[in-house]
Amino acid sequence: MEQALANGVYLGAQYALIALGLTLVFALMNVLNFAHGQMFVLGGFVTYTVYGQLKLPYWIALVASALTLAIVGALFEKFLFRTVLKRSSRDESTMLLAAGTAFFLDAVILLIFGEKQRGVPKIVNGILDLDVVIMPYDRLLIGALAIVMIVAFILFMQFSKPGRAMRALAQDRTAAQLMGVEVERYSMIGFALGAMLAGLAGGLLVAITGVNSGIGGPISIKAFMMVMIGGAGVISGAILGGFILGMVEALLLSVLHSYGDITYLVIFASLMVFLSIRPQGLVGKPWG
Amino acid sequence: MAEFLSVSGVTRRFGGLVAVNNVSFNVREGEIMTVIGPNGAGKSTLFKLICSFLRTTEGEVRFRGEKISDLAPHIVARKGVVRTFQEATIFKTMTVRDNVIVAHHLRSKASLFGYFLNSALARSDNAAFRESADEILATMGLSGLADELAMSLPQGHLRALGMAIGLASNPMLLLLDEPFAGMNHEETMQAVDLVRCVRDRGVTVLLVEHDMSAVMKISERIVVLNFGEKIAQGTPAEIQSNERVIEAYLGVEDDSIGL
Amino acid sequence: MIGMSRQFMLSSILFVFVLLVLVPLAVNMSGRQDLFYTLTSVALLAIASGGVWLTFYIGRINIGQGAFSLLGGYVSAILMVHYGVSFWLALPIAGIACSIVSVLIGLPILRLRGVYFAMTSLVLTQVMQLLALALPITNGAKGMVSIPLPGALTLFGVTLIPDFATIGNLKQAFYFLAVVLMIACYAGLYRLTRSRLGAICVSLQQNEELSASIGINIAAMRVLAYAVSSFLGGIGGAIFVAISQSIYPSSFTVTDSVNFMLNCFLGGLGYVFGPMLGTLVLYFGWDLLYRTADYQLLIFSSILIALMLVLPNGLLSLRLKALAKGGHYG
Repeated sequence: MEQALANGVYLGAQYALIALGLTLVFALMNVLNFAHGQMFVLGGFVTYTVYGQLKLPYWIALVASALTLAIVGALFEKFLFRTVLKRSSRDESTMLLAAGTAFFLDAVILLIFGEKQRGVPKIVNGILDLDVVIMPYDRLLIGALAIVMIVAFILFMQFSKPGRAMRALAQDRTAAQLMGVEVERYSMIGFALGAMLAGLAGGLLVAITGVNSGIGGPISIKAFMMVMIGGAGVISGAILGGFILGMVEALLLSVLHSYGDITYLVIFASLMVFLSIRPQGLVGKPWG
Repeated sequence: MAEFLSVSGVTRRFGGLVAVNNVSFNVREGEIMTVIGPNGAGKSTLFKLICSFLRTTEGEVRFRGEKISDLAPHIVARKGVVRTFQEATIFKTMTVRDNVIVAHHLRSKASLFGYFLNSALARSDNAAFRESADEILATMGLSGLADELAMSLPQGHLRALGMAIGLASNPMLLLLDEPFAGMNHEETMQAVDLVRCVRDRGVTVLLVEHDMSAVMKISERIVVLNFGEKIAQGTPAEIQSNERVIEAYLGVEDDSIGL
Repeated sequence: MIGMSRQFMLSSILFVFVLLVLVPLAVNMSGRQDLFYTLTSVALLAIASGGVWLTFYIGRINIGQGAFSLLGGYVSAILMVHYGVSFWLALPIAGIACSIVSVLIGLPILRLRGVYFAMTSLVLTQVMQLLALALPITNGAKGMVSIPLPGALTLFGVTLIPDFATIGNLKQAFYFLAVVLMIACYAGLYRLTRSRLGAICVSLQQNEELSASIGINIAAMRVLAYAVSSFLGGIGGAIFVAISQSIYPSSFTVTDSVNFMLNCFLGGLGYVFGPMLGTLVLYFGWDLLYRTADYQLLIFSSILIALMLVLPNGLLSLRLKALAKGGHYG
């Protein structure tokens, strides 16, 4: 039981990091980034290349992942999403553009990195053995790093100038504009930041479970679910959603053991029931 | 004999806030009644409670003896109580005439399946609705614009279209949500005439409104709200000389009292 | 037929003629029988996409049609394999089964709007796939194979359609099956958009509150539209099963659900025939790019993105108004 809980916390931290990036983009631009999972995968591969292939220190690899995805995110926003958002007010347009970018990234990843599962050597060896809980040190480190990044993100959003600007933008676009917030600039920064978070999460997880080109889609779906559980467009929602999903997954897996499929079936079905009762998620803004 | 529309002890709370507090009044058949009050008095909330777009916390609304509060909105419409909306609430990409035709929904005799198969009943319905729509558009002064897209209409005509849509269901009671909002004097007078036309067709009208000059001109009876409570009820003359009403509006510019 | 302009009637007769006479002739003459298979796939995917279009028509973004194609496919497979039901009966039953399930699911979730409904529908595809993997009757990951070909369809002793096992040109036969059903499906959708039902759907799409105030039971209408939409999804799945004679949990995935949506969008959401065109273009586009091998997905997605940047309202927005009359309700 304690083991499951420990796993849950570790997993939850990773998931929360993923969810944060997605919810940020959604809050800012009302766009659900379909390509979020692919950005995660790209981040993982960049880290694999820099740390696993080029043998550079792990933290440099993470920075590389972060930068790569930040650039990708910024480019996507500036040249693709901005154009479509201007030309069409329908929700569907941006959603389909996002789907297109997801396919695009999938293609790029396949071309550059191939289809094989890739992993990296352990960043730190050894296992923490507390009898009731057994946790490899590298998982502890990754989990801790994830939590540090989440806290850093929250602090950034709360206290920095760009962070406050983005929060104002997310709350009320028109009011923010009137207050002088440059919508375009901060949309781009926000998208870049969201992508960066996905990339960092990928860089972190490649060190534990490795990465392959096919998990982009499933990660996107998990991210959507987390954001929906917690409440779209709200930071606390993303964190809540991430941790809840992590916990539920860890607990159910420990109970249902090898029936991985049933675990997810239960999770998905419960999610649908939950959403129909409470569509705004746990802490989301009531919409209408 | 049941009152035409009776609002009894209607209350609505939002968390700790009481938006409407124990409001009661009746509307007589064939009259034009208006609910007024300063900003934040709870008029909008009361309006939504009456047409069941919001659930009551306490109290009930009855129409011709039947309870209509807390029912699904489309059922309230079916019972003969139809509401209009503020702002440009029309079906934007349909033509003006089509807007009114589709609003005849409640008068359909054919079944959905019949419409799909274009049965004889469906065809006669469609023909009848078209005729009726043209007639309503004529009453509202929109005949010349019948083939225009609804979204291209200017403000005043949009309101008229909103009323036309409301009339299409052949209601017994029409609830108008701030029909004169944002209009200049001339537009307001034209809209006042339209409301009278509506009543002359045999439709009872209950308005929620802000614009005092229009209200004084058109209302037969007025109910005044302040801070969610009813503070006065009576004819325009009685209301204008009512101390509590004047007090409630104190601090507001003179010309909005419309004396 | 009532409600159609002369021009449209002529165009549609011509279109049907092309599909049922000219195209088979051309394919047979060219000797490239595999084209029949491609076109058959386009037809059945167009049917499922038409269903998605219908949900767009009432104002919801449906990324869950793959779930119903999968469900319909499995229902018809199970009926044919385990209960010996004839394909001609299994087909409509599969559709109806999907409708029933969609009503149960739709009642709670259709209240959601915009991205919220979209995401919930996305989850649906996953759920269906997992069910297919988990339930014993669907044979799990191994899928169901050796599903019999459609048998003969006889009515009062008259053989309307011969047993498919006896037909020489099987690919052509399936082509006719799929195309005829596609024509029927779109004829129905077209009729819907021209009738009062269409006006009701548009009113839902544009302003649900206003619709309610004029007496439309918006919850019921949404569920009805969703039921029809899922029916079409199920039909598409059942046809797929008949052709491939097998079905696996991976036969319809989230990617397919997204593709159905893409088909609608590319053709133009405001046009009832949009999904047909969109499916054709996307499917052939993908096929044509096959020669680019590794770069297939890259080029495909790049073109897709470019199209979305340039034509936010879909391909049919380029067409003349005459053809677009088939349901221009924005």
